Amino acid sequence: MQFNRRALLNTFIATLASTSAAFAAEPAKPLIVGMELAYPPFEMTDTSGKPTGFSVDLATDLARSLGRPLVIQNTSFDGLIPALKTGKIDLVISSMTATEERAKSINFSDRYFSSGLCLLLKKASTAKGIADLNQAGVKVAVKKGTTGHIYAMSQLKNAQVLVFDKESAAVLEVSQAKADAFIYDQMSNYRNWQRNQETTRTLLEPFQKESWAIGISKDNSALKDQVNQFIKSYRTSGGFDKLGDRYLKEMNVEFKRLGYSFFL
Amino acid sequence: MLMQKRGQPVTLAAQLLSWCLVGLLMAAVFSFAFSQLKYGWNWAAIWEYRQKFINGWLVTVAISAAALLLSLLIGLLTALAQRSSVLPLRYLAVLYVEAVRGTPLLVQILIFFYVVASAFGLNNRYVAGALTLSLFAGAYLSEMIRAGIESIRGSQRESARAIGLTQLQTYRYVIYPQVVRQLIPPLTGQFASIIKDSSLLSIIAVGEFTLNAQEVNAFTYSTLESYLPLAVGYLLLTLPISLVSRILERRFHFAT
Repeated sequence: MQFNRRALLNTFIATLASTSAAFAAEPAKPLIVGMELAYPPFEMTDTSGKPTGFSVDLATDLARSLGRPLVIQNTSFDGLIPALKTGKIDLVISSMTATEERAKSINFSDRYFSSGLCLLLKKASTAKGIADLNQAGVKVAVKKGTTGHIYAMSQLKNAQVLVFDKESAAVLEVSQAKADAFIYDQMSNYRNWQRNQETTRTLLEPFQKESWAIGISKDNSALKDQVNQFIKSYRTSGGFDKLGDRYLKEMNVEFKRLGYSFFL
Repeated sequence: MLMQKRGQPVTLAAQLLSWCLVGLLMAAVFSFAFSQLKYGWNWAAIWEYRQKFINGWLVTVAISAAALLLSLLIGLLTALAQRSSVLPLRYLAVLYVEAVRGTPLLVQILIFFYVVASAFGLNNRYVAGALTLSLFAGAYLSEMIRAGIESIRGSQRESARAIGLTQLQTYRYVIYPQVVRQLIPPLTGQFASIIKDSSLLSIIAVGEFTLNAQEVNAFTYSTLESYLPLAVGYLLLTLPISLVSRILERRFHFAT
């Protein structure tokens, strides 16, 4: 009992101290960043389950420059924009393409990364480009909510579009020749082809160029300015190149050989 | 007035009044919850995609109906096999039930479609999906049916044999009517589960109701507007099943 009372008193004093500290200097609100940790090497988890990757490091550096502690919220990709709209997260840093349609619901920062949609094909496919896929009887796999999904629904009216929750299931479909093609970004499809060289081939030439940006709520224009300032200074100080060397080294070399560059 | 006295029938007025009270209570709770929500509703975007909801709902109806019938057949056969005197048959049934009940449906769908169905040349994902769902539910149904059969006391079987009924006649006239009556409530729950579990088939790109709602959500970013119709659509399927089961319960209510 004696001990309890002392503990209680201590808590009280601590609370008092922290409140007065709060009056002295407003404690920094945590910066809550939403991302889907299923897109290596950008958003992934290490062997112990900790978030890691290109976007995680970018978020860490951004939070540090804003002087706010970072909280990463693992959210499925199609839940990111609703989470931002309802104020559950402050930012989306999840390799998100800044599209016009999405810009109706949320704001985007300046773009920081360039990518493009390309094709992973089953080995036996004779397609020479995306135009060859827009035919009856052709099955095209996409990941739900991605730009590839949106492209397929509007541009491939004749083909049958198969919608998957997981990238891995879509790749499995192509490698088993259940689907003719998988529409996804260049880097991922390059990696998917490397892992399934016996059963798939790839057309890396992008048929739709896109660029990624950080998503910010429409109600928070102050944060948007801060983020844009950060991106500008991060670019000039070589921050993006450093992240590229850390996470994309091998692919960077390969894609430079093919004549593509990632950074804007 | 709102209490049922022991042994007396409930009046229609009391029924109506009680239902109204319950309805009002639910309405009050939910209208309060929704009024506290700051959310920009956008029903117009959902309305544009109404055909997608309808198509998805129809696929769910078709797959659930097929799975319902097939799982009942599988469940019945498995329950009988579990009581068979042929040992390999009995053990096969036991193994099937344990394997299915002990593993997640998600894993079963993936393995069945990408490994088993592929190997046997079954490439229609809708058929493979309905089959997986039937096999999954069949295991649960077989245990319910087996429990029903075994709840009939041995004395009844002996009496049946004493009055000269054959094995088949015993099942038809003694066991079946009692088991059916006992089975209806758990069966109703299981059927509702089949309908809702069919949403898991979206992982092999079966374009059922839930996947379509999720797609609309992905296109319009209107989460609640996409999922509320989903709840209504599933209720439209599960409520009639409950209703039919109530009616059947009454019909099979024999004096014992």
